Amino acid sequence: MGPYGLNRERPATVRYRLRVAAIVVDGLMKRYGQLEAVSDVSFEILSGEVFALLGPNGAGKTTTIEILEGFRRRDGGRVEVLGLDPADRATSMRLRERTGVVLQELAVEPYLTVREVLERNAGYYPLPRDPAEVIDLVGLSERARSRVKTLSGGQMRRLDLGLGIIGNPEVLYLDEPTTGFDPSARRDAWELVRRLTSGGTTVLLTTHYMDEAESLASRVAVMSGGRIVAAGTPQSLGGRDMSDALVRFRPPDGVAIADLPVQPTSVTAGIAVIRTDKAVEVLRVLTNWAVEEGVELAGLTCERLTLEDVYLRLVGYEEQQR
Amino acid sequence: MMAAVARRRAKMVGRQVYYEQLSFWRNPFGAFFTIGFSLIFLVLFAATGGSGKVVFLHVKEIQYYVPGFAAYGIMSACFNTLAISLVNRRESGLLKRIRLSPLPAWAMIGALLLSALVVSVVQVVVLLMVGRFGFHARLPVDWAPLVIAIAVGVLCFTALGVAASTIVPNEDAAGPVVSIVFFVMLFLSGLWFPLQRGSALAQFSDYFPVGRLIRAMFAPFQLLPGASPWAWGDLGVVAIWGAVGTFVAVRRFRFEPRRS
Repeated sequence: MGPYGLNRERPATVRYRLRVAAIVVDGLMKRYGQLEAVSDVSFEILSGEVFALLGPNGAGKTTTIEILEGFRRRDGGRVEVLGLDPADRATSMRLRERTGVVLQELAVEPYLTVREVLERNAGYYPLPRDPAEVIDLVGLSERARSRVKTLSGGQMRRLDLGLGIIGNPEVLYLDEPTTGFDPSARRDAWELVRRLTSGGTTVLLTTHYMDEAESLASRVAVMSGGRIVAAGTPQSLGGRDMSDALVRFRPPDGVAIADLPVQPTSVTAGIAVIRTDKAVEVLRVLTNWAVEEGVELAGLTCERLTLEDVYLRLVGYEEQQR
Repeated sequence: MMAAVARRRAKMVGRQVYYEQLSFWRNPFGAFFTIGFSLIFLVLFAATGGSGKVVFLHVKEIQYYVPGFAAYGIMSACFNTLAISLVNRRESGLLKRIRLSPLPAWAMIGALLLSALVVSVVQVVVLLMVGRFGFHARLPVDWAPLVIAIAVGVLCFTALGVAASTIVPNEDAAGPVVSIVFFVMLFLSGLWFPLQRGSALAQFSDYFPVGRLIRAMFAPFQLLPGASPWAWGDLGVVAIWGAVGTFVAVRRFRFEPRRS
């Protein structure tokens, strides 16, 4: 048993903590009848790290997280959370005391108040956070005495996040925490997740939003069809940092495509796209030409493949489109 | 050490019962359909015919309605309300969330049972008081058999309520399915109109727990000459149904929503 296993004390220094894997998944397999929902999935999450499982619906993300939570049995492979096997009944209660979950569903008893729900759940854990402090942290001070059924969707989600951390967990599972949110509510939720996890909580996040993974996670694994098809930092995923750049602009009126100083790779909907591994050179030629000609290059951008481009390629979207 | 563990567990269940009670009494539908209905039925039935006598029992009707609607109240609190609430909690993901928290499943179920017991006792007391002071009904002669009948009834219908919740597929079906079972069982029980002893319907009804519970709760009033306050046979049938319900509940209970 490692120092992070049965021992309830947390490691003293950050440096020490970073070396410890909070979650180990090795060759995980899960079948539902004929369907292989998860096959040969392996990853490690270091203590204090925010790790995202990215993938479309049905990719096996939720099954994976449910096995880690101890909610579902696995059919093969090795799983360790805080040094314990989530499927081991003898230690499952102790493990649940040290983990927190935020599920896809917003499920809280409607007739209790915000404060009552948090106080009740705090009582389930040996070392909970102070409910009043959590209410503050999730920004529900004004609604502390309101019944849950009177909360708005966004407030419900914040209460949900509060319930996820009320037990002062060492590992927090966030299963699609912002699905169905409008963009500003999502940004608020991200900000909240960052604040809640700044204290060194290990977070496993599942999402099908690329920007969510990019904004919150330090490492990402992309799942598709029950397998991990790529893993890395959001910046380097799928060779994104090494890939070609895309220069986009709208050719000036009255200028034929053939008269442009650099020939576009493609022109769609009036936007010229130049795919290049020499972005600086292309931009210099293009902008010099525009200045000399006295024309404007409307909508000029230069970017690497977006995480979304990489993601769609990885999960075989292009394959399906053909 | 053992005592400390027991005390901690008792406290955990006690806290859970407290929050269950808060939820129950604040939910206008739950409170109204259980307590309110049994009370309204009692008053209506008693007011329209309370001075007459149940023909074949030779007792005042009110003496039949007080234990009858008390049994109705127990069934409503334990079977009806619990089954619907469990389906809603399962389908909304509440049960799954509890499963993932350190609250043990036995503590959750135990708290539901105790909470239903509290509601049942409150109801029986209210009905006895209204019967006594509103309609001059007699109180039970012997309290012990009444307490035992309440306990056996609560256990039986809680088990049947949990079992029923495992059979209902989703929250849309919960209300209609549970209500139909509930009213058919009530119809068979002879609560609305006492069944003629020996009739085919009465014999059929004897296989089911509702009429049996009514009789077990009627006996402690000792209104029939020479009758025992203990209706062991009736309690036995209720207990068997409780065992069947427990068996089905334990085998079929699921924490996760059906639809996913």
